[in-house]
Amino acid sequence: MASYWTETRSLAGLYLRLLGAQARSQGAYRVSFALDALSAMLITAAEFAAFALVLPRFGAMTGQHGVAWTLGEVSLLYGLAELAFVLMDLLFGGFDAPNLSGHVRSGSFSTFLLRPAPLVLQVFGSDFALRRLTRVLLAAGIVAYGLSQVEVDWTAGHALMLLGSVVGMIAFFGGLFVIGGTLTFWTVDSVEAMNVLTYGGRTLISYPMDIYGTFLRKTFTYLIPAAFLSYFPVLSVLGRPLPDGLPVAAAFLAPLVGPALLAAAFAFWRFGVRHYQGTGT
Amino acid sequence: MIGATTGRDRRPNFRLYLAVARLSFRRGFAYPQAALWGLITNAFFGVLRAAVLMALFGAQPQVAGFTVQDALTYTAMTQLLIAAFSLFGWSELMRTIHRGEVGTELLRPHHFLLFWTAQDAGRAAGQFVLRGLPILLIFALLWPLSWPQGTEGWTVTALSLLLAWACGFAFRFLVNCAAFWTPDAAGVGRFAWAVLGLSCGFLMPLAFFPDWLRGVLAWTPFPCMLNTSVELWLGVRSGPDAWTALGTQLAWAGALFVAGEFTLRRGLRRLEVAGG
Repeated sequence: MASYWTETRSLAGLYLRLLGAQARSQGAYRVSFALDALSAMLITAAEFAAFALVLPRFGAMTGQHGVAWTLGEVSLLYGLAELAFVLMDLLFGGFDAPNLSGHVRSGSFSTFLLRPAPLVLQVFGSDFALRRLTRVLLAAGIVAYGLSQVEVDWTAGHALMLLGSVVGMIAFFGGLFVIGGTLTFWTVDSVEAMNVLTYGGRTLISYPMDIYGTFLRKTFTYLIPAAFLSYFPVLSVLGRPLPDGLPVAAAFLAPLVGPALLAAAFAFWRFGVRHYQGTGT
Repeated sequence: MIGATTGRDRRPNFRLYLAVARLSFRRGFAYPQAALWGLITNAFFGVLRAAVLMALFGAQPQVAGFTVQDALTYTAMTQLLIAAFSLFGWSELMRTIHRGEVGTELLRPHHFLLFWTAQDAGRAAGQFVLRGLPILLIFALLWPLSWPQGTEGWTVTALSLLLAWACGFAFRFLVNCAAFWTPDAAGVGRFAWAVLGLSCGFLMPLAFFPDWLRGVLAWTPFPCMLNTSVELWLGVRSGPDAWTALGTQLAWAGALFVAGEFTLRRGLRRLEVAGG
C-alpha cells in the first residue's frame, strides 16, 4: 500500500513537471501567447454569439415534439458540452490524432517507448495547450449564464447529475481521442473520420436532441450513447421527462457511459502499442 | 527587391497563370480518400446545422425575408463553399515565408500576387467541383432547395460567387502577409478566421442578426465574402439591388487586392531569408 502511494505520487509529480515545462515554453513569447489565448476563445465565442444573437429574432428553439427551448436552457446544454470538451482537450490533447500522428511520423513516439517513464503518462503530458484556459473560462461563463436563466430546484441529486455529466463527457470524448490516436499507428486517414465523432459529437450534443430527426436521435441514444451524457441530465434538472419513457435514473448514467468507453479505448490503445512498428525514422 | 516584378518586361504572362491554375485544380483530385472523408464530415455538420435552423424557425413560415427552405439552401451553400473559399483558414503563403521558400519563388519570372491568385483560383475551382457540388446534390436529395431565378438570377449569382472568392482570397493573402512581420502569424490567422466566420455570414445568415451588428458589418468587406452571394442566390436581393451588391463586391475586391500588393511590397522589403 505504501509503495503504491509513493509510486502514484512520483507519477503525479512527473506529470506536473511535464506540464510545467510546456507551460514555461508557451509563456516565453508573451504577446503571441496572449493573442493565441484570445483567438482560442474567439472561435467558440463567435459560434455561440452567432446563435445567441439570432435567437431573440425567432423567440425560441422548437424541437420535433413541439417543446420550446429558451436561450438560457440551450446555453446550459451548449456550455456544459463546451466546458467538458475543452477540459478533455487540455487533458487528452496528446492523444488527439493530428498530434499523435505527428509524433508517430517524426519518430518521437519511438523515443517515448525507450524512456524509463510510463508511455501513457508521457503522451498525457506531451501536448498541454495552455492557451485553452480562456476557453474553459468562457465555457464556465456560458454555463453560469444558463443556470442563472433557468429555474432549477437545487437538490444534491441535480448537482450530482450536472457534475456527472461533465465527468462523463470528459471520459467519453477522451476515449474517442484515444481511439483516434491509436488508429494513427496504422493509418493517417483516420483523422477526419474521427473528427466526425469528436467535433461532430460535441456539436450534436450542444443543442437539444429533440431538434434532430428520430433516426439521428435514436442512433445517438442507443447505438452511440451520447444522449446520456448531457441531454438526459439537463432534461432532468429542468424537470422535463426523458424521451421514450426512460426512467429518471437514466440521467445518472453519464459517469458510467463515459468511463466505460474510455476503458474500452485504453484496451484498444494497449493492443495498438503491442502491434506498433514505427515508421523507421 | 529581387524578382520579375522589377524586370523589363512587366506584361503578365497569362499562359503561365492559366497553367498554374490548371495544375492547382488537378492537385485537389490527387487524394480521393481525403476528399471522401471531407465530404462525409461536411454533410454531417450540414445536417446538424440544418436541424438547428429548422428548430429556430419552428412554426414560423418566414423570418427576415427567409423561408425555412431558404434557410436550408443557405446551409447547403455554406457547406458547399467551405472548402472552395477556405472558410476555416488558409496558411500556405505563411508557411512559404516562414520556411524561406519565398526566396526561391521571388527568383522566378512571375508576378508574385498574380501567381498566388492563379494558384488559389485553381484550388478553389477544384474544391468547388470535388467537394462542393456533391454536397449540393446531397442536400438537394434530402430537402427541397431554393434556386436562382431565371438567367439574370444565375448570372448575378455566378458573378457574385467569383467576386466573393476574390474578396476572400485577397483577405486571406493579407492575413498571411503578417508572416513578414511576426514569427507567430498562425496566431494572427486564428484570430482573423474567427472574425471571418461570424462576419461573412458563415455561422448564420447576416439577415438574422440585430440591426446594430448588421450596420457595423456593412462597413466591412466581410459580407462580400459569402453573405452577398447567398442573398443573390436566394433572390433576397434582386433587380437593380443585385447589381448594386455586385458593384460593392467589385469595389471591395479591388481595394483588397491593392492593399495586398502594397502590403506585399512592404513585407518583401523587410524580408530576410536565412541561408541554408
